[in-house]
Amino acid sequence: MPRIACLLVPDFAIAAACRADPELAGRPLVLAETSAPHARVVAVARTARAAGVHTGHTIAQARAVVAGLTVRRRDPAAEGSASRALGDVAASMSDRLEVTADGAVFLDAGGVRHLATSERALATALVARAAKVGLEARAGLGGSMIVARLAALHAADGVEVVPAGTERGFLAPLPLGCLAPEAAIVATLERWGVRRLGDLARLPLAEVATRLGPSGAALVRTACGEDARPLAPQARADRVEETIGLEYTLDALEPLLFVLRGLLERIIARVGLEGVGCARLGLVLHLDDRSRDAREIALAAPTRDVRTLLGCLRVELEARPPRAAIARVQVSAVAETVRALQLGLFTPPGPSPERLATTLARLAVLCGTDRVGTPTVVDTHRPGAAATTPFVCASTDGLPGPSGAPGSPRDMVARDAPGRLVVRALRPPRPIEVFSDRGRPDFVRGTGLGGRVVGAAGPWRLAGEWWRANAYTRDYYDLELSDGGVYRCYRDGASERWFVDGIYD
Amino acid sequence: MSAAALLDRLGRPGDLRLGNARPAGVPRLSTGLPRLDVALGGGLPRGRLTELAGARSTGRTGLACVIAAAATRAGETIAWIDPENGLEPEAVANAGVLLTHTLWVRPRGERDALRAAELLIGAGGFGLVVLDLGSLQTAERGAPWPRLVQAAERTHSALLVVAAQRLAGACAALGLELHARHVHWSVGPGRLSLLAGIDAHLTIARSRIGPVGPALVVTQVCA
Repeated sequence: MPRIACLLVPDFAIAAACRADPELAGRPLVLAETSAPHARVVAVARTARAAGVHTGHTIAQARAVVAGLTVRRRDPAAEGSASRALGDVAASMSDRLEVTADGAVFLDAGGVRHLATSERALATALVARAAKVGLEARAGLGGSMIVARLAALHAADGVEVVPAGTERGFLAPLPLGCLAPEAAIVATLERWGVRRLGDLARLPLAEVATRLGPSGAALVRTACGEDARPLAPQARADRVEETIGLEYTLDALEPLLFVLRGLLERIIARVGLEGVGCARLGLVLHLDDRSRDAREIALAAPTRDVRTLLGCLRVELEARPPRAAIARVQVSAVAETVRALQLGLFTPPGPSPERLATTLARLAVLCGTDRVGTPTVVDTHRPGAAATTPFVCASTDGLPGPSGAPGSPRDMVARDAPGRLVVRALRPPRPIEVFSDRGRPDFVRGTGLGGRVVGAAGPWRLAGEWWRANAYTRDYYDLELSDGGVYRCYRDGASERWFVDGIYD
Repeated sequence: MSAAALLDRLGRPGDLRLGNARPAGVPRLSTGLPRLDVALGGGLPRGRLTELAGARSTGRTGLACVIAAAATRAGETIAWIDPENGLEPEAVANAGVLLTHTLWVRPRGERDALRAAELLIGAGGFGLVVLDLGSLQTAERGAPWPRLVQAAERTHSALLVVAAQRLAGACAALGLELHARHVHWSVGPGRLSLLAGIDAHLTIARSRIGPVGPALVVTQVCA
């Protein structure tokens, strides 16, 4: 017998609106498709409903009923985010889950018994996790999807567990309307005096099928606790996404950052359910001129620090402000396991991952993404070749021991031996004029350097990458000039021109 | 590591003597050159600004690499700010620097380089930040240095400014100068000659934490 849990948020559209704007919570709130006075109310908060406002009222009628009524436009984007957040809550417990269009989430509770001491504890944990992502949910657990949903809907204290084999008894007192039957069938059943599911379950199935057709037979089966539809697990999105449609367009950075903070807090609450962090941020701004501004920010280390993420977004937006006012904001995050930093007892601590992520983001904006990173030796013989890879804090495990091999750089440093002469590359190589005397360089003139040749070594030929279009053949010289510099110069074999591409420094 | 070795390293409870309290000295970062460490009183001061000035081809980049190599091999994470985009990863690795512990930042110009230095020092966790201005003649003399020094004091990063001349003035705790360069050429059979190395005299031109004067001759040889 399968065990299905259902996580349900009553008044889902209202809950999604309150999640997107927490200041709306507790207010007499209604949602409508437009803000025009004749627009129909499509969702009503509990406080407004208690005062007499119902769906189908016009906004003008609703305002007449409740003074100080708050009216908002329905935001499908916020509802989508809330639905996905509820899916994340379920996913933190089970991989087999199904999200329905009305915002309810079903999950297979059969395989997750080891995560909780009892089924009630599991349902309670789901409700508590939903509260963490800003949703006041109810949980029900039963043998089928319909039983689990009805258990969640009619839970006395937000949690209801229907033990296996007692589904019929649980459903018996519930009104017929909770199965949402067709109006014609409801009328017929009322004529028969059937008002509760228990009454319906007692009817003979074949007789009902003869009189009401397949729909009637399905109703009887449901009233008996049978549900032919199995759970249809869905694949999860690889990104955690939060979207909000704005009441008014934003054209300043600070209000936008205020909105982004809320979105980031909700994203972090969601990724935090599984103990992971945000490794990559996506920001999509839907602009007032109907265009779309999409950005992607890679973080140096996965983090759950909202300030760090907000700092990265601020830097990015300051560097490249959007070209028009913003009407809708979408933030997405790629989740990744947060790397724990193991500190050594005698090794110095490196930069903290969160601070490093912000710093690298700022540096990338300041200098360019390709100009910040770990220097990497390129697999080529071409002098001056260099590349960077994304910087990550290296562990100290691979550090050389106290004694290096003889002749190694470590050994050289330890014995106070002479250091290695280092070349500073000139990128790109600078053209120079070289005057020769009997085939030997005698005088050099170029931008920022020049003088008589005091000492020289060379030439030695370097030729490579002949299989590519940019093959090179160079005759290299080391030249000490009277200006005090020692330069690495070469004569290009193809153009016969001279260049300097490095300074011994 | 045995318990006795740990106690030797951390200190034994009985080693504590009351009444001998002395003001704590400036923590140091070894330069990797024992004679220079002795001359400096232990190495480069952490949380302070050190300047390494020298004309072109006096071995200033090589000496900075030696210091960076010692820092990375001690487990420090370092940052190298290189506005001239002149670092050769292969040469730096051959000088002993662990590239995996090095963050290479290539700002476009001196102004961005100073801003990058401020960001990196302020982030904390970098044992050494090398601001390699090379032959750039900074126009912002004086203005950024107090901020950099304050940030370094807060995060205990050693800031090493490599430039053609000393720039930070009174903000520098230590000023090292390289001069009197001599280039060696090896003479082989026939007319074959090769660049062998460069010698330069290193002088402690300014120090607020120790004596000043000539320190040592720095020799750098070709690989």
